[in-house]
Amino acid sequence: MNDHDKIRELLALSVADALTRAEEEQVMNHARSCAECSSELDSWRLLAAGMRRLPTPQPRPLIVERARARAEIRFAEEAENRWHRIVMIGVILFAWALTLMSWPVVRLVSGGLLGMLDPRLNHAWMGFAVFTTIIWMTGGAAAVFLSLQQRRERRLA
Amino acid sequence: MGLESEVAQLRRGDLDALSALLTRYQNRLYRYLLRLVREPAEAEDLFQQTWIRVAEKIRQYDSRRNFEAWLFTVARNIAIDHLRRIRPQSLDEPIEGAPGESAATRLPSSERPVLDGIVERERTSRLAHALDLLPVTHREVLTLRFEEEMKLEEIAEVIDIPLSTVKTRLRRALDRLRQTLETHYPGEVWQ
Repeated sequence: MNDHDKIRELLALSVADALTRAEEEQVMNHARSCAECSSELDSWRLLAAGMRRLPTPQPRPLIVERARARAEIRFAEEAENRWHRIVMIGVILFAWALTLMSWPVVRLVSGGLLGMLDPRLNHAWMGFAVFTTIIWMTGGAAAVFLSLQQRRERRLA
Repeated sequence: MGLESEVAQLRRGDLDALSALLTRYQNRLYRYLLRLVREPAEAEDLFQQTWIRVAEKIRQYDSRRNFEAWLFTVARNIAIDHLRRIRPQSLDEPIEGAPGESAATRLPSSERPVLDGIVERERTSRLAHALDLLPVTHREVLTLRFEEEMKLEEIAEVIDIPLSTVKTRLRRALDRLRQTLETHYPGEVWQ
């Protein structure tokens, strides 16, 4: 491929401003001395100018407003979901803290700390298991109830 | 209010910023989507989906990145998914249509450029039609470069391809556009 052919390959990219400075200079220098490439470059320029002048279609105002409203609702929902996640993590941490803190209580009303350390199923273990299950089930039921209520409210809104 | 400030405010949860960004990009984003899918009704639907996705993902947006490229990438992903689902063949093949009529020219536009008379308008219309006949990959790179006036690096980011591939695709797209014009409108001034 000679210089002329190489430059011809670059002409389209020249009008798209997609050449390096060195390549651009090469093209310009060649086009000054080559009538064929100069004419070719002009026709590419015309095409590029036409592309840049294409009309800009616009979305209907109704669609823009609908997009705005739907995006805002989604945005609010996302913020709400984030808040819920934070609250849920807080509640879980609190529940675990409460569970662990309940050990001394269990120890007090049952066979003492040594009973808790006994691997066999004894009163202390059963008491602790029942206590923990009640707490977690109550918490879970409350979470489900709140979630359902919120979903119902959102539907009504 | 500048773009960066609007994006920062949106990330902090300001709904006014969302509205401002939508206003700022509504025409460009819609035009890009329309160039990809060619059907105004589909472009409108994708336009809405894009903004909903922006509302969902804005907190994941890395503020060191170019927001415009990120926004167009979001729109592109939605449009490509749509095309893959609805018209998988459209990702590769051009369509044929009535000469002189294209999705772009069928649209109402309050921003039509002032051209020098009917001849110029006719040429623009033919160019829009020829553009519509190109495969989606070519339409996309041409609209991003010439209509959105994105830098090559930004185009590479939106399409997620290397810079060298952007250049190759751009050259092929221009070649194909000219060929299409020559085929459909022989003797036109472009040649």
